[in-house]
Amino acid sequence: MMTTTKPQPLRQLLLGCALLLSATAAVAESNRADGEQVYTRVCGHCHEAGVGPVIKGRNLPPSYITAIVRHGFRAMPAFRSAFIDDASLQAVAEYVGNSPAPGNKGKGKE
Amino acid sequence: MSQQTNKVLPQGVAESDFRAALEQFRALLGAENVLVESEQLVSYTKIMMPGDVARNTPSAAVTATSVEQVQGVVRICNRYRIPVWTVSTGNNFGYGSAAPGQRGQIVLDLKKMNRILHIDAELGTALVEPGVTYQQLYDYLQEHDIPLMLSFPAPSAIASPLGNTMDRGVGYTPYGEHFLMQCGMELVLANGEIYRTGMGGVEGDNAWQVFKWGYGPTLDGMFTQANYGICTKLGFWLMPKPPVSMPIEIKFEEDTDISDIVEFIRPLRLAQVIPNAVVIAGVIWEAATCNTTRAQYTTEPGATPDSILKQIQKDKNLGAWNVYACLYGTREQVEVNLNIVRGALQQLGKGKLVTEEEAGGTQPFDYRAKLMTGVPNLQEFGLYNWRGGGGSMWFAPVSQARGSECDKQYGLAKQILNKHGLDYVGEFIVGWRDMHHVIDVLYDRTDDDERARAEACFNELLDEFEKRGYAVYRVNTQFQERVAQSYGTTKRRVEHALKRALDPNNILAPGKSGIDLNNGFEL
Ligand SMILES: Cc1cc2nc3c(=O)[nH]c(=O)nc-3n(C[C@H](O)[C@H](O)[C@H](O)COP(=O)(O)OP(=O)(O)OC[C@H]3O[C@@H](n4cnc5c(N)ncnc54)[C@H](O)[C@@H]3O)c2cc1C
Ligand code: HEC
Repeated sequence: MMTTTKPQPLRQLLLGCALLLSATAAVAESNRADGEQVYTRVCGHCHEAGVGPVIKGRNLPPSYITAIVRHGFRAMPAFRSAFIDDASLQAVAEYVGNSPAPGNKGKGKE
Repeated sequence: MSQQTNKVLPQGVAESDFRAALEQFRALLGAENVLVESEQLVSYTKIMMPGDVARNTPSAAVTATSVEQVQGVVRICNRYRIPVWTVSTGNNFGYGSAAPGQRGQIVLDLKKMNRILHIDAELGTALVEPGVTYQQLYDYLQEHDIPLMLSFPAPSAIASPLGNTMDRGVGYTPYGEHFLMQCGMELVLANGEIYRTGMGGVEGDNAWQVFKWGYGPTLDGMFTQANYGICTKLGFWLMPKPPVSMPIEIKFEEDTDISDIVEFIRPLRLAQVIPNAVVIAGVIWEAATCNTTRAQYTTEPGATPDSILKQIQKDKNLGAWNVYACLYGTREQVEVNLNIVRGALQQLGKGKLVTEEEAGGTQPFDYRAKLMTGVPNLQEFGLYNWRGGGGSMWFAPVSQARGSECDKQYGLAKQILNKHGLDYVGEFIVGWRDMHHVIDVLYDRTDDDERARAEACFNELLDEFEKRGYAVYRVNTQFQERVAQSYGTTKRRVEHALKRALDPNNILAPGKSGIDLNNGFEL
């Protein structure tokens, strides 16, 4: 599980990364309008965790979804176009609108 | 095309000047990066504070993608005396969200400046731009197999190291006091100059991210929770990922146990047996983060009766107080420290220790474990469903890490909240010698009566705590002037003098932490 990485001697860990890195790496978040990716990295943290209601598999109209995301809605925060650009929002709205309901693969909640 | 439909102007700025400024912003940034229509600005006004949203409605929002553009924005603002409120990822929920502190300020939104400029896996350092989220960093570390661990606030996935650190936020690992782990800032000053703190001004230097103090005055702190500069790069330290991390929970049955818990934890924390920012979470916090809502138990308005809280505690198998700590190191180190913790617990004679295996992937243990080991999630937003309706203000008084003090603060806060028909939804975050006593003042913002009670409650909390010598470490923008009063007038005059010297036109976020050339605190 995430909490126990294999017990490795510290020295070995450090040597491993010396090879990997030392050069400056400038990386920007990609702006690909990938609906699934936005869903997983943002929406899913709440909507697959019981924090927000299930939104997949309900045929929610994309225009409704985009409006909720831009305005926010009660407990749901608003997301600015600087945070999720229009193309990505449209993509995630279509992705959600066309998705089947999530399977019950989540962990037990209580 | 350049019509301004939002109908809000920056304070003291003539409409013609504002239009001229907008034209210059468009020339500098491109029209698509200058937002003025109400529909475009609506995302900036989703506040959770009780005051009318008109108080925090911006006149415009502009997005920059480079340091040069930030300099350009500042020059235009100076030319037309336009006040500008900066956000990075803009998810400062419960403190003001992405809305400006004062009506009419333009928002400078830096989310699109999102490059990870440098990660040094050997030294454990990072240098990032304002729009980099913790999720982005996490993905980067995973993808490149870099064994470093992040420390972040609960809204991890959508928050930023830069925004969180500039507001002096906290996380849950041994690096949880984020400003302590900050190392090197780049700032655009109000006059458009670029200032680098620490070693950053030395030509050819490569120690900017490893040595904080540089030479002469060390000014980094002055720029946090402040309005003396716009941070465009932030350096900070990352903890080497330990071979073993062992999150644990200790449940305590009674709410009167808080004093004993703190006395039990402090020596372990000070000695670094438990090295992380430990949390002691109250029962409603726990219930809400395993997706329990108030409505499942009662539809009566007002404070939730203690009898119901006891019922929830039982139903959900929670403690009245729940301690979350984590041990890190080699297997041997973790074992040794676990035995010390167990020994201390035995001495205390109460408290039930729960391991990750025993918790079995259930909430809230699971998200706490993730926070303590640097895995992004948003589970804590369950808090907003407890009462629902999108109202939230953090009341976060500082306390000594001393049992009697925490007990006193808890009792006082609960009594005031309940008097106003609201619940105590709180946790203590153990620093080293201090506690951030973090209370989420949750209310239904769509209910006018509850909204008014929340506002009155927050005022009373500030007043009554102040009478006893307590003050908060951070506050939402509606109360920033009020809290500045708690810290005394000399401080305010010093801050005013700095503001006068560094930003004579008062353009950078006037009002932030009560600093504003119009506040009358001339030296
Ligand atoms: C459920 C929940 C749990 C939370 N838990 C925590 C927690 O554990 N710890 C914690 O600290 N907070 C917590 N928060 C509060 C808040 O959401 C986080 O602190 C968050 O990191 C702040 O938002 P941000 O990172 O997007 O920063 P931003 O909103 O971008 O910035 C915050 C503030 O810093 C200043 N600022 C931002 N950028 C700059 C800049 N470039 N130059 C100068 N000043 C700047 C501005 O005043 C801005 O308002 C929680 C909120 C919620 C809803
Ligand atoms: C921080 C948690 C959180 C995140 C992130 C989040 N949501 Fe939500 N969302 C909620 C909550 C909570 C509600 C329910 C609000 C209420 O009723 O108070 C909600 C409601 C909604 C609704 C209305 C559902 C209905 O039943 O009508 C839609 C649509 C929605 N969200 C879409 C999204 C999309 C798309 C994203 C990603 C871009 C997203 N949300 C990200 C928490 C979140």
